[in-house]
Amino acid sequence: MASREVVSYETPLSKAFKWFSAVFIVIYLIWTVLPIFVMFMSSFKDLLEAFNIPAVGDWAGVTVFFEFTPTFKHYHDLFVNLNFSRYILNSLIAAGGSAVISVILGSMAAYSLSRIEFKGKNDLFFWIISTRMAPVVAVMVPLFAIFRTMGLVGTLPGLILAYTTFNLPFAIWILKGFFDNVPYAIEEAQMVDGASRWQAFLAILPLVAPGIGAFVVLCILFAWNDFLFAAIIGSGGAKTLPVATRELVQPQNIQWGSIMAAGVVTTAPMMLLGLVIRRYLVTGLTMGAVKE
Amino acid sequence: MAKVSFRNVWKKYGDMPAVKDLNIECPDGSFLSILGPSGCGKSSTMRMVAGLEHITAGDILFDEQRINDLAPKDRDVAMVFENYALYPHKSVYENMANPLKLRGQDASRIKERVTAAAKLLEISQLLERRPQELSGGQKQRVAIGRAIVREPKLFLFDEPIAHLDAKLRAHMRGEIKHLQRSLGTTMIYVTHDQLEAMSMADTIAVMHEGELQQLGSPREVYNNPVNAWVAGFVGEPAMNFVDCNVDQRGEKTAFVHPNFNIAVTDEQARILSAQSKQKTVRMGIRPDALAISLDQPAGEHLKGQIYVTELLGGDMIVDVELAGERIRVKTAPEFEGEEGQTCYMTANRDKWHAFSKETGQAFF
Repeated sequence: MASREVVSYETPLSKAFKWFSAVFIVIYLIWTVLPIFVMFMSSFKDLLEAFNIPAVGDWAGVTVFFEFTPTFKHYHDLFVNLNFSRYILNSLIAAGGSAVISVILGSMAAYSLSRIEFKGKNDLFFWIISTRMAPVVAVMVPLFAIFRTMGLVGTLPGLILAYTTFNLPFAIWILKGFFDNVPYAIEEAQMVDGASRWQAFLAILPLVAPGIGAFVVLCILFAWNDFLFAAIIGSGGAKTLPVATRELVQPQNIQWGSIMAAGVVTTAPMMLLGLVIRRYLVTGLTMGAVKE
Repeated sequence: MAKVSFRNVWKKYGDMPAVKDLNIECPDGSFLSILGPSGCGKSSTMRMVAGLEHITAGDILFDEQRINDLAPKDRDVAMVFENYALYPHKSVYENMANPLKLRGQDASRIKERVTAAAKLLEISQLLERRPQELSGGQKQRVAIGRAIVREPKLFLFDEPIAHLDAKLRAHMRGEIKHLQRSLGTTMIYVTHDQLEAMSMADTIAVMHEGELQQLGSPREVYNNPVNAWVAGFVGEPAMNFVDCNVDQRGEKTAFVHPNFNIAVTDEQARILSAQSKQKTVRMGIRPDALAISLDQPAGEHLKGQIYVTELLGGDMIVDVELAGERIRVKTAPEFEGEEGQTCYMTANRDKWHAFSKETGQAFF
C-alpha cells in the first residue's frame, strides 16, 4: 500500500488551536469524570461524611473530601435488604436476551436484504428503519396497551420483546452494510465446495463478526441504560437496575448512600464491557469492510 | 469425471440475453476453454454449470443426466474463482480441507488428501498461514488445491490466473495444463486471454455477444477461423484485414488493391466464384504469414511504407501503411527498415483468408 502521510505545518493559528484543544480536553474530562468519581467515593462514605463538602472557593478544603472511613454498608444494604442481586439479574437477562435475539434475527434479515433481490426491497428496507424514527415516548402508550392485552407487562419476556422491537431495525441496518462488503464469491465457493445456502451463510458470519460485536455492545448499552421501557413495561415483576435505583428516592427519605452504590453497580459492568471490547468496537463501527 | 453437454442453453437477465442458444459437447476428460472478451457470456455459462445461476432455457447434462435443478453442492463440481475466494479467517489447511469437511469425510482422510494436494502444488510449507499472508501466486495455488482435494466430476476454472503477473501467468499455464492431464478430470476453463486458451485447451469455444462463434481445436480456430471476428480475436498480434476487390478475368482470379494485385489458388477462386455477388471482400492475413523486405521481390507482392517498427527482443513488429490502412508484420529483429521507407511483403497463397464484407463469414 502506498504511504499516506497527512502533512501539517505549524502556523500561529494552529499553535493557538493546539492550546485551545488542550484546555478544552481538560475541562471536558473534569466535566465527565468528576461526577463518576464523586459517585464512586460517596458510595463508600457514611451519609454525614458524604455531605461534608468544602465551601465554594475554599480550595484548601478539598482535602475534606478524602477524609472518611470507608464503609461497605450501602452495598450490604443493596444486596441484603434491597434485593439488588435480583435486579442485576433482570437487567442482564433483559439486555442479553434482546441482544441475542436481535443478532440472530437481524443477521438473517440483513443477509437476505443484502443478497436477494425482490420486489419492494428498498421500501421494506426503509420501513424497517422508519420504525426507529418515532420517539419511544410516542409509541409507549399503544405499546403498553398491546403488551397488557397479551399479558406481557411486568414480565422479562415482555421487556426482552420491547427491547428487541427497538434493536432489531438497528441490527438489520448495521449488519446489512457488513454483509454487503463480503464478496459473493466466498459464499459461492462454499456452495460449490458442498455447502447449502444456510451453511454458506453460517460460514461467512465470522467475516461480519466486527459488525456483530459492535451491534451487541450498542444493543446491551441501550437495554441496560433504558429507563422508560423498564419503568412502564417491566414495572413490577421485571424491575431492572435503573428502575430499582429510582425507587430509592422516596418522598420522605432519599437514600443517597444506596443511590450512589446502585449507580456504581449499574455503571461498572458497562465500563468493564467497554474496556474489554474497546478495540473490537472501534473497528466494528468504523471499518464495516472485509477486504478481499 | 464426466462428459458435459450444453443443449440449447439460454441465459437472460430480464430481457437481456447473456447466452444465446449454446450447444457444446465436452468429452469426458477433455480440456475445454471458453474464450471471449468481457461481457461475451462466458462467465454466465460457467456459473450455470456450477449452479450459481439459473438456466433460463435449455439443458446442461453431465453424462447425459440433466443437472439444471440440482443445487451447487449436489453437482459435484470444483471451481476456482477469479479472485480466488479463499476464506480469509481460515488457514490454508482449513481452506483446502473445507470441501472434504462439508462432505463429512473423517479427519485422517482429510489430512491425507490435503497433504497430498499441497505436495503436488508445492505449498506444503504454507499450510498454517492465512490467506492474507500469501502472495497472489500462492493464493491461486491454494484455490486450485481446494478444487483438487476431492475428485470432482468436473473442474471449473474462471480466469484463475488473470490477476497474476505476466511471468507467473506463463508458468501457471503449463502447470494447470499438466495438472489437468495428470488428473484426467474434465475441465472447463474460462478466459479472455486467447494465449491461455490456445496453449492449454483441447477444444476452444469462442464466444462473442452471448453467441458461440466457433468450436474447435486451437489449430482449427487459429488456421480456419469461421468469421472475421474470431480471426481478429485469436492470435497476437491480431490478423490484418484489408478491403479489396475480387477481379475475375477468365481463368484468373485475383485480389486487387491500389497497393497490390495477388492471384489466388484455384480452390480459393472456386469458392469466390460461388459467391459471385461479392465484388469486394475483407482479405485477412496473419502478421507472421507475411515476409517483409526492403528489396522489391520478383513475384507478386504488397507494397507499403513503414510507419513504425517495434523491437520485442526475439521478434520485431513492423507497422506498414497501405494506402491509408495499416497492417502489422512480424519479422526477425535483424530487419533494418526505417520509418517512411518503402517496403515489400510476400506471403504464401494458402495463408490468405477472405471474409464477407457484410456478414464477416469466412470464405476461406
